[in-house]
Amino acid sequence: MDVHLKDLTFLYPNHDQPVLQGLTLDIPSGQFVAIIGQSGCGKSTLLRLLAGLLHPTQGQITFNGAVSNGRSRIHTVAWMAQSPALLPWLTAYQNVALALRFARNGTPPLMSPEEALSRVGLGDYIHEYPQHLSGGMQQRVALARLLVQGASIWLMDEPFSALDELTRENLSNTLLDLWQWLKPTILWVTHHIYEVVRLADRILVLSPRPAQIAADIGVELPRPRDENHPRFATYVTQLRKSLFHANGQESASNDWFNT
Amino acid sequence: MPTVKKARPMTGSTRSKLITWGLIVGALSAWEVGVRVGNVPPYLLPAPSLILRTLIQNLSTYLQASLITFGEALLGLLIGTCVGVLIAILVTFWPGLEHGVMSLAILVKSTPLVAIAPLLTIWLGFGWQPKVIITALVTFFPVLVNVLVGLQTITPSLLDLFHAWQANRWELLWHLRLPHSLPYVFAALKVSTPLALIGAIVAEWTGASGGLGRLMWLAYTNLNLPHLFAAIFILATAGMLLYQVTTQAEKRLVFWYTSS
Repeated sequence: MDVHLKDLTFLYPNHDQPVLQGLTLDIPSGQFVAIIGQSGCGKSTLLRLLAGLLHPTQGQITFNGAVSNGRSRIHTVAWMAQSPALLPWLTAYQNVALALRFARNGTPPLMSPEEALSRVGLGDYIHEYPQHLSGGMQQRVALARLLVQGASIWLMDEPFSALDELTRENLSNTLLDLWQWLKPTILWVTHHIYEVVRLADRILVLSPRPAQIAADIGVELPRPRDENHPRFATYVTQLRKSLFHANGQESASNDWFNT
Repeated sequence: MPTVKKARPMTGSTRSKLITWGLIVGALSAWEVGVRVGNVPPYLLPAPSLILRTLIQNLSTYLQASLITFGEALLGLLIGTCVGVLIAILVTFWPGLEHGVMSLAILVKSTPLVAIAPLLTIWLGFGWQPKVIITALVTFFPVLVNVLVGLQTITPSLLDLFHAWQANRWELLWHLRLPHSLPYVFAALKVSTPLALIGAIVAEWTGASGGLGRLMWLAYTNLNLPHLFAAIFILATAGMLLYQVTTQAEKRLVFWYTSS
């Protein structure tokens, strides 16, 4: 599903400076878009606007050319945040089934909660309560919950940032598999430059507030991506330069890059 | 070759129970010995053995009175809890009501029980109604305050999720706010269950046709301390039992809270 932002501005009540100002953007259906930028620049606000958690002060968001409001929005966009936000009184299965219950619109669901949990590697843990699952497993449940919604746009706000390196890589591989299988449009906020180049089709670098698109980088590397590919390092360098440039800094030394 | 059975080490829970019962038995024994050695007259302090004898000899009277008092206390507790939860839901739905409702609740809470009980007895008679009302009045406040916190302090990420699902206020209440407030309901019940017994007894003291409070009042006016202590013993035991029941129910129903 295409996403179109037209002249999008957002200002928190009782604040002078807008978080986003006049943002215009087109995202074609099925694209894996990473959004990167300095902390507090408005990345999460942009995602919250798309999820319907905030309302634009000015401008318009359209999905496939139509404004999506109210209950129908759950069939269009699915939301996943840094916290897995699981209900501790429900099992993994029940947590996923609840999402399905909210997403049900008369048509047969894309998949059952069991199938979604199996897809994310939790087939043996469907009756476990969240407090008996590790952080990575809890995020897998959240991913399964996103799957059953059957939404064509996935909004992911630093979903794996609280996890250790290895778990994060495993989960991002799972996410990549799911994206290649279902081809949803993904808008993914993160701070991990390597991960961004490894996964995304397109990288949007946001400037500090009021956020503007400082750089729009298309990643044209074959999949599966190899970090040893010479162009991989070029993208990483380009992205770092763009980040520094967006924040009004000249460039970073290689020492800083390697930290 | 004969096998040697190893003694199983005592668990923390068993040791704790043994210590509790040891303290109770020790205190009662000290009381018994103190009364006998000191020749304390029963109209001042009866020995535990005399209290137990009085209780056994008048068992049917005490059972009948207990049924009345516990019935009033539990009905009042039920009504107080339901009213507390309902008001907390109303305040959550319409936050503008909070200041007015809480002022009124604090006013009711601050008014001494002994001042309201005689009035209710005058208006409603010696039956169960004034006792149930008093009990409901003393129990609703802890429930209201606790449940309000439970309904309102939801983790922002969970609220975001439900808002992203476009959940309406009833869905939010049913699927998120009410289950989230269950631990707070039990925290309130641990306070309000003993309060319910106190409420029923105080109300019975101001005028009743039956119940443990009435038996206690009669025993007090006749300086019949063995009877008075027998009623106190029943109340203390019932309070402990009700607390245990609440704790066990909490463990079963709010397992996710205690284990997390």
